[in-house]
Amino acid sequence: MNVARRWRRQGVIWLLLAPSLAIFFLYRIVPLGWNAVLSVQKWSPLRPAEFAGLYHYEEMLLHDDVFWTSLGNTLVYMASAPIGIALALALALLVNAGLRGRTVYRAIIFVSYPLMTVAVGIIWRWLYDEKLGLINYVLIRLGLVERGIAFLDSFTWAMPAVIVAAIWQIVGFFMIIVLAGLQSIPPNLYEAAAIDGADRGQRFARITVPLLRPSLFLCLVLGIINSFTSFDLIYVMTRGGPNYATELLITYIYRAAFVLSQLDYAAALTVVLFVLLLAVTWAANRATGGEAGAVEAAE
Amino acid sequence: MKLVRLVVLGAVLMAAVAGCPETAAAQQKISVLTWNIPVYKEKIEGWIADFRKIHPDVQVEWLDKKGPEWGPFYQTQLVAGTAPDVIDVQGGLWLEYAANNGLVDLGPFLARDPEVKDYYNPRILPSWNYEGKQYMVPFYISKTLLFYNKTMLKEAGLTRPPQSFEELVDFARQMGKGEKSGFMTLNFDWLYWPLFAMNGVELLSPDGKKAAFNTPSAAKALDTLAKATADGAVNKVSWTGRWVEPNDAFASGTVGMYQAHAPAFFYVRGSGKWISADTLGVAQMPGGFATPNSHGFGISKSSKRPDLAWDFIKVATNEKWGYTFGTTLRNLTGAPRVDTRILEYFQKEDPLAYSVLKTQVENLDKLVGNWRQAKDAQIKEAFYTEIQAALLGRKPAAQALAEAERKVNRILQR
Repeated sequence: MNVARRWRRQGVIWLLLAPSLAIFFLYRIVPLGWNAVLSVQKWSPLRPAEFAGLYHYEEMLLHDDVFWTSLGNTLVYMASAPIGIALALALALLVNAGLRGRTVYRAIIFVSYPLMTVAVGIIWRWLYDEKLGLINYVLIRLGLVERGIAFLDSFTWAMPAVIVAAIWQIVGFFMIIVLAGLQSIPPNLYEAAAIDGADRGQRFARITVPLLRPSLFLCLVLGIINSFTSFDLIYVMTRGGPNYATELLITYIYRAAFVLSQLDYAAALTVVLFVLLLAVTWAANRATGGEAGAVEAAE
Repeated sequence: MKLVRLVVLGAVLMAAVAGCPETAAAQQKISVLTWNIPVYKEKIEGWIADFRKIHPDVQVEWLDKKGPEWGPFYQTQLVAGTAPDVIDVQGGLWLEYAANNGLVDLGPFLARDPEVKDYYNPRILPSWNYEGKQYMVPFYISKTLLFYNKTMLKEAGLTRPPQSFEELVDFARQMGKGEKSGFMTLNFDWLYWPLFAMNGVELLSPDGKKAAFNTPSAAKALDTLAKATADGAVNKVSWTGRWVEPNDAFASGTVGMYQAHAPAFFYVRGSGKWISADTLGVAQMPGGFATPNSHGFGISKSSKRPDLAWDFIKVATNEKWGYTFGTTLRNLTGAPRVDTRILEYFQKEDPLAYSVLKTQVENLDKLVGNWRQAKDAQIKEAFYTEIQAALLGRKPAAQALAEAERKVNRILQR
């Protein structure tokens, strides 16, 4: 390939990339940079900016209990992702078996995913209601409790209650991913293993799980990202309460910016969230051998 | 060639439009932001029509946001430099904007229109005064009062509402049995503060620079409330619900006494079938203390047409529209002449509503929880977080107060 042709080709590639790059720069890089700058300033819409160094970070790390609570809650919320994946795996195995009406089951399980998160929050708020909720009705009828439990107002129950709602919403989506993975496993592997005397447990542990690894890993990454950005469900169900029991970093950022009017402090919180996401993404990439998202260069 | 000519022509036209001075229509436009009154659309169009009789060449854009959306919307508009000219704000939200030079001082406008100044209640107008400047004028007023379920009081052998904090808790215990609880309060903003005020607790030192609430009487009051909450005398929703939950709880007829502001009555009556003049009593809280939660009109500092904005405020709050608003949405307006007429109307048409509204212009010297603090929102959050933990049994009262004191002082020192 001669030089002129190569340059022309490069030019066309960059020309085609330019609109996407421009949008990415304007809507991702510039706000990110501005946010980082804002985090080292004292600023509000009504005050001129003033350099503050690491003041907000010091405040956050040394004096702000709510930051640590919301960080802890975010990690707990994140840690619930494997529960959803395990459930999705179990459901996928069930609907992948020769069950009668399995397509109906698949549809029923998946139907929660396309629902708007706000609708999911409202549905679960009703289900958890202390006086009128179905869950309390069942618990009382079964004689498990004497009085209804105020799940979303309870320090003990609020976070598990929100996690259950989050898992319910996403489990159908995870199930479809795992199901696709299951169906891509060649059946002859199971046949060969069965001939060699492997029982069902051994086949599951030695064939199904290893070959499902990419699907399970994808679910894990999606679950973790979801836990960092799950604003709407928390906002609708508990608004971070009671007493910050369900406050996540993302909801705390909103509270700092728009309830407490501390946009500069919210920017510092956002930087911390960004660093955390970066670390998780890096760890995820490492866990897949550093090849996540890599594509073969076209010749 | 034809294409080139078209492109050149287009470019010239665009340059001409861009280079033009602002059109007359764009120059003559003001925007008005209200707080969750979409139901009042038809009447607001009436304000606009009346305003346009005075300024026929001025367009008015009306925007309305629900409570939780109001703050984020206004802040983003401030950042964008497009803040609405006229704003209707609830409670103490205006303070931060006023303290940071975000609102117009209405003092000169009131001085120029003395009859307008005299029109507003002189005991209510200072509610929107910060460092000697008047930043808002009343749109509609409300403050807390005590509603009580007469049937539940009677069943508990009680013949009158409580007269002191001790009686309040004692009465609550007598009524709070099984599914029933004796007392409940709204908790947003500082609406629960009368419970502390009646125990002689002050939030800040007189100069407003230090926390002053960490006292033995505050610890005792907090501890009493926490214990009463734990044993069901005080409904837990008091400390966890915001607006809908406590109102629904009182409407269900299982709560003996309810500290809330007047608008709560109309919400509760809508769903509480038990409510009538025979079953619902209305009183001031012990000591006569109440926390205001009124709405005021102000003008954004970024407004390019503050004179027009002021004229709009005058129309929206004048006698005609004040009376219409008061009788339609059942509120008083902070203008004595209008409020007298509104009260007369309700005395005749709806005596129970009258008894509620009447409390809103009583004991105006006992208003508490309305500090002029620029960092009101942050102080409120820091204080309530700790207090709530104590009230719900997560921390001892003394520890919660000490931690709240540390946090509030840190905010004040920033």
